[in-house]
Amino acid sequence: MALMQIAEPGMTADPHQRRLAVGIDLGTTHSLVASVLSALPTVMRNHDGQYLLPSVVRYCEDDKVVVGYPAQAAAGQDPHNTIASVKRFMGRGHEDVQLLAGHLPYDLVPAEGMIRLRTRAGEKSPVEVSAEILKVLKDLAVETLGSEPEGAVITVPAYFDEAQRQATKDAARLAGLNVLRLLAEPTAAAVAYGLDKKSEGLFAIYDLGGGTFDISILRLQAGVFEVLATAGDTALGGDDMDHAIAEWLMAESGIHLDDPLWRRQVLQQARQAKEALTDQEQVELTLDSGQGAPRVIQLTRKQLETLIQPVLQRTLPACRRALRDAGLKVADVDGVVLVGGATRVPALRRLVSEFFQQPVLTDIDPDQVVALGAAIQADALVGNQREDLLLMDVLPLSLGLETMGGLVEKIIPRNTPIPAAKAQEFTTFKDGQTAMSIHVLQGERDLVQDCRSLARFSLRGIPPMVAGAARIRVTFQVDADGLLTVSAEETSTGVRSEVLVKPSFGLNDEEIARMLQDSFAHGAEDIAHRRLSEARVEGERVREALQGALSTDAALLQADEKAQLDAASEHLEQCLAGSDADAISKAAEAVEAAAEPLVQRRMDSALRRAIAGRSIDDLGE
Amino acid sequence: MAEVCIQCGAELNAPPALCHSCGAIQPFRAELSLFGVVGLPESYDLNLQELRSQVLQLQKILHPDRFARADATTRRFSLEWSTRLNEALAVLRDPLKRADYLLQRQEIDALGEQVKVADPSLLMTQMMYRERLEDVLAARDQNGLDQLRGEVEDASSKAVNKLHILLKKLPCEQVDEAGSVLRELQFLDKLLGEIDRGEESLQNL
Repeated sequence: MALMQIAEPGMTADPHQRRLAVGIDLGTTHSLVASVLSALPTVMRNHDGQYLLPSVVRYCEDDKVVVGYPAQAAAGQDPHNTIASVKRFMGRGHEDVQLLAGHLPYDLVPAEGMIRLRTRAGEKSPVEVSAEILKVLKDLAVETLGSEPEGAVITVPAYFDEAQRQATKDAARLAGLNVLRLLAEPTAAAVAYGLDKKSEGLFAIYDLGGGTFDISILRLQAGVFEVLATAGDTALGGDDMDHAIAEWLMAESGIHLDDPLWRRQVLQQARQAKEALTDQEQVELTLDSGQGAPRVIQLTRKQLETLIQPVLQRTLPACRRALRDAGLKVADVDGVVLVGGATRVPALRRLVSEFFQQPVLTDIDPDQVVALGAAIQADALVGNQREDLLLMDVLPLSLGLETMGGLVEKIIPRNTPIPAAKAQEFTTFKDGQTAMSIHVLQGERDLVQDCRSLARFSLRGIPPMVAGAARIRVTFQVDADGLLTVSAEETSTGVRSEVLVKPSFGLNDEEIARMLQDSFAHGAEDIAHRRLSEARVEGERVREALQGALSTDAALLQADEKAQLDAASEHLEQCLAGSDADAISKAAEAVEAAAEPLVQRRMDSALRRAIAGRSIDDLGE
Repeated sequence: MAEVCIQCGAELNAPPALCHSCGAIQPFRAELSLFGVVGLPESYDLNLQELRSQVLQLQKILHPDRFARADATTRRFSLEWSTRLNEALAVLRDPLKRADYLLQRQEIDALGEQVKVADPSLLMTQMMYRERLEDVLAARDQNGLDQLRGEVEDASSKAVNKLHILLKKLPCEQVDEAGSVLRELQFLDKLLGEIDRGEESLQNL
């Protein structure tokens, strides 16, 4: 017989009235599902009592698909058909993953748009592989809840771009889940803490996972979570600590063996040593390469801390930047939440606590906290209690458009609260231009080549006008999930064009990290580049205008004026071929000065043409 | 002409996104000012606490998360209102953007590219500040940087005070003067950003 449930006042315990929803942390190494059960967010466990599902999918010979520990165990013997860390491929194109591909045993298929993996079950997209993981979690939820969940909240890293978010949503749909909302992982962690403790204030969420680092600053007030800023390094994580320890172990052992299996074995030992040193002061490791006698090495916690110190230090610049972006000082932060297994390391807790000048919050298991927060949000979204809770996210990377000269005009800067919309007016560059290509980019740098291309589309049917007369209003709308719609309209005629930006691939992790760091490191270089590009655009505009004028009205010039103008024009050509911004600007000015008589006479003659045949009365009006 | 609720026909009060009788979300109205959307009177003198709590209160009701299971039209209304509320908070909470917005309501584009800044004393001040910033950064002089920041922040709050006087009565009558204070404030804001970035580069080295 089922146990009787006792409901809190105001809450219903009747499963037929209460709507069921789940929160899912779809992680790179592990995934898990949680739900609010009897008013308590709880992670769901399988028959073996495990709640962490390794994010590994194996396509077996008998057409079966196996997910989790059994798949992970088979990775060594069946690498091509056993996919781990598929999250890194989500929303990525073939070129994006070249860097990763070298380290991974998968058979990658260059495809239009998102990468595919060749397995014995056929070519699989990362979306399909992720869907297999989600299906297992969904089945676990159905079993635990006794019925289909009405909806799910799935967490994504704060840095996930458009393509990666879209791919995550697609995977959930494929698994038969109704996605209520995508939620940034740090926000989910804050939800778990904020509500449990009913606290208000400013929080820093420090999330160090296996391969990524995120820092987010959130404000909680009257039940509204507002993400004020996010920053991070998507190529930094607990794995880097393991590598640092492994390098030291290999050097210490004196065994120089370039064998991947040996390296993996040492790495495994490094990870275990790191975990053991959370509670112990010292560990003893036995390294056995199979060649010669095994070596025994002592590692103390102090030594470990020295080894991983550089990794820990690398998280601090992002912390400073997030604070600065939020307009805050360390003293303003009311609480620091730790997320991710790597934050169990005592030295890390000390460092973070020193940086933020306060003890860090660690009460909730850092592996569970994201899923628990997602469950709370899912519960609120299907209309259960907690109507007081609202989460407001921000745009993780700036959105912009390509303008002349390969420059990016930022339209919505990163960290803008979403939903957000912004409209910007552009104009035509050439006389009679009837189409305009719109190129949407995401990233922090000034030049198109340094940002991620999200989409291109054309606005056609612009009525022919002189250069600069058309008014093209481009509107970006980012919804609450961070997904973008771009529309363009020529305002004088109402010609419209609209696309839902559903890019075929996204940024790779290293790229995002680099793009963010580069935007600061290359600030000065970008400015020089920008000046040159702007000078070129201006120079070319002058040249175009001059050619247009000369093609119809060269006869208006006297011989010496023509010679002078030709000389100036030739000098401009030469400067445009070079890369001296000042020279180009000066040359363009010289051409404009030399063209002065021509411009004057063209205007006179245009005026005469315009008034020819009209009566004095017409002009008087 | 009084606006009425699309659902129950009751007359709408400010803020007009929701019907106060039946609670129905209303079609988005693009013509409303940022103040109108939030339901606050148009004024430069604004209680920031009140603005924030008003916007958050409305977001709690109007945000797309509240309509995750609603029909497409309702979801669109929610998206539009919520977007505009975010914009209202971002613009109105910032003394520079708020003043600029009020002038733009009078069709004055004080910070537009067409405006030629011809205030020699502002140009001199700008050059002086920038040279000092370069000097303290080159000398890695944290105290000098803090002092510079203090002065710039003082100048900034003086400019905001001037704007409070100039924009006390709306529409503003001394638009040229307001525009010139606005440009000064814009410069000081940018400079504070550069000081922050400079400080960050000192700390990260």
